[in-house]
Amino acid sequence: MRKEGGCSQRVKLIDALHLVRREVVDSAPETKIFLACGFTPLHLQTFLTAELRVLLPGRRISLKTGLFGDLCGNIARVTQDEFDSFIAVVEWGDLDPRLALRTLGGWHPSQIADIIESATGTVGRLQSGLLGISQQVPTIVCMPTLPLPPLFPTIPSQADSAEMQLRHAVASLAVSLSREPNLRIVNGQHLDETSPPDRRYDVKSDVLSGFPYSLPHASAIAEFLGRLIHNRPPKKGLITDLDDTLWSGILGEDGVDGISWHLDRHSHMHGLYQQFLASLAGAGVLVGVASKNDSTNVERAFTRSDLLLSKNDVFPFETHWSRKSESVRRILKTWNVGADAVVFIDDSPMEIAEVKAAFPEMECIVFPRSDYQGIWNLLKHLREVFGKSFLTDDDALRLRSIREAGVWRDATQSSGSSSEDFLKTAEACVVFEPAQPKGDTRAFELVNKTNQFNLNGKRFSESEWSNFFRDPAAFVLAVSYKDRFGSLGKIAVIMGKSCGPVVCVSGWVMSCRAFSRRIEHQCLRYLFGTLGADEIVFDYQSTPRNGPLQEFFTELLGETPTEGVRLSKERFAARVPPLFHQVEGTVHV
Amino acid sequence: MSEQENRLLSCFASVFPGLSMEEIPGIRAQSQGIWDSLSTVTLAAVIQEEFNVEIDPEILPQLDSFEAFRTYLCRMNPAAE
Repeated sequence: MRKEGGCSQRVKLIDALHLVRREVVDSAPETKIFLACGFTPLHLQTFLTAELRVLLPGRRISLKTGLFGDLCGNIARVTQDEFDSFIAVVEWGDLDPRLALRTLGGWHPSQIADIIESATGTVGRLQSGLLGISQQVPTIVCMPTLPLPPLFPTIPSQADSAEMQLRHAVASLAVSLSREPNLRIVNGQHLDETSPPDRRYDVKSDVLSGFPYSLPHASAIAEFLGRLIHNRPPKKGLITDLDDTLWSGILGEDGVDGISWHLDRHSHMHGLYQQFLASLAGAGVLVGVASKNDSTNVERAFTRSDLLLSKNDVFPFETHWSRKSESVRRILKTWNVGADAVVFIDDSPMEIAEVKAAFPEMECIVFPRSDYQGIWNLLKHLREVFGKSFLTDDDALRLRSIREAGVWRDATQSSGSSSEDFLKTAEACVVFEPAQPKGDTRAFELVNKTNQFNLNGKRFSESEWSNFFRDPAAFVLAVSYKDRFGSLGKIAVIMGKSCGPVVCVSGWVMSCRAFSRRIEHQCLRYLFGTLGADEIVFDYQSTPRNGPLQEFFTELLGETPTEGVRLSKERFAARVPPLFHQVEGTVHV
Repeated sequence: MSEQENRLLSCFASVFPGLSMEEIPGIRAQSQGIWDSLSTVTLAAVIQEEFNVEIDPEILPQLDSFEAFRTYLCRMNPAAE
């Protein structure tokens, strides 16, 4: 948490206390978090609560802590059902008390082997305990952030073998935990940049009150923990300029061979930018180009074998002489995403201003050409806004399916026959499968980021998502789609409860990439057929952005939908258009 | 009331949100059920950070009222008075 206005100065304890004490309405939903640490949580608890109050406005934050000095015990005793998230903050003293200052257990060289053995054993217990908890609730872990005490016989400049063993044990624990989809580890390197290691430890506070962190360090850790609990959805797309941005030089003047991104031409940072964009594209971020350039020249430039960003990683290319804001508008339309989910990068402050004026909600960044540190900072910032906890198979499909959606549109428009005939020959296949409470990050992601075809705009925390599956009457269907133009992957989720002849649908989302294929109709037919329902009741709510869903209902019902809209089997049968999909994967709900 | 006293009031208000600004100058550790060891540690941390002072742990038990803190801070930083 930082002071308002983007100031890098950390929030003071007094401000955090005032934030924590700000009133929240009694009816606000509660977020319950267990904070496990071996030391007195004291100001860390205050900073973390304040951080979460800012990140989760409108929610009541309930932060519980366990017994002090017993991290492993707290982990073993915690009842996962009672919490939405679990946090473990580990320090060296939790691995063996002799690694903390408050215990006088001896630092004789002859004891070091025993300390290592004891610490390694604790690491094993931590691993099994944390893995167990992460099966139930989202779990955040912060590995030791304080310096080890000077118990090793080497001079401080020399790394002692025993010290390396300790660090190895902790690193191994972090490696194994970081592989779990429901478990997130605080990034030590990033924390080092935010909270200098030599300003973290407050010896006096540790010895006198059992709280080892300096206030700035406690604030920094709270900020990191808060972000990992919040797990904000990443932005979806990046639109980049070409000249003096993706490469150094002006394509129209310097020619295809004159533009560069290499060390010997002092343009290496542009190569790093290309490499970074390729990395983003590989992780499912949409990358588009908006450049005032001749399109033939751009096509030729993208045939250069040394370019680090493949032409296949970019879609669409808007290369012409129109206004940049016009290019951006077209790209947003092709991607079908909102401006607030996109970053625009250009070396020209004038172009940035023009696009920003047209799309105030879009993050627009001047590419800091010739500024090595500036580009390094840009790459780190981009990772901040596009980073995600886990990649899914669908991330790799996203750009391809958007490109294929264009092929679909073109084919629909140029087929010369009716769209009916076109759908008939699309060889479409819809697959229904039960979504899983754990590990199905794509279904969870869809529910939380889809805006347009969304029944009510409701978002789920990770624990609310997990809890939904616990109801025996509940069902959560994940829907995948493919046709002769390619696979769209998992594109829809329907969730609800079956109550005899009535099915109550509480959530229904579908990616905008899947529009115009009558998949939504197939979803309803599947519910009527599989659940044997006579009627479906929808927990529908109009939102500022769910127009496509409203249109679908209006067309199906012959009237504007209202809250709690109902659809009978007969009515659906009378209104459903012909469906040509092959349906796979019967789900028994 | 001096600027330093106002800041001290704000520190107390953050730790004792149940007290009004009028009640704070009269607060004493012994007379208030809300002033416990946790409050003492938190109050000391807030005041140390806010006034950039280091409170000697030997003195801390004597800082058992608003007035005691006010006097202590005046002694540490007489120019601010």
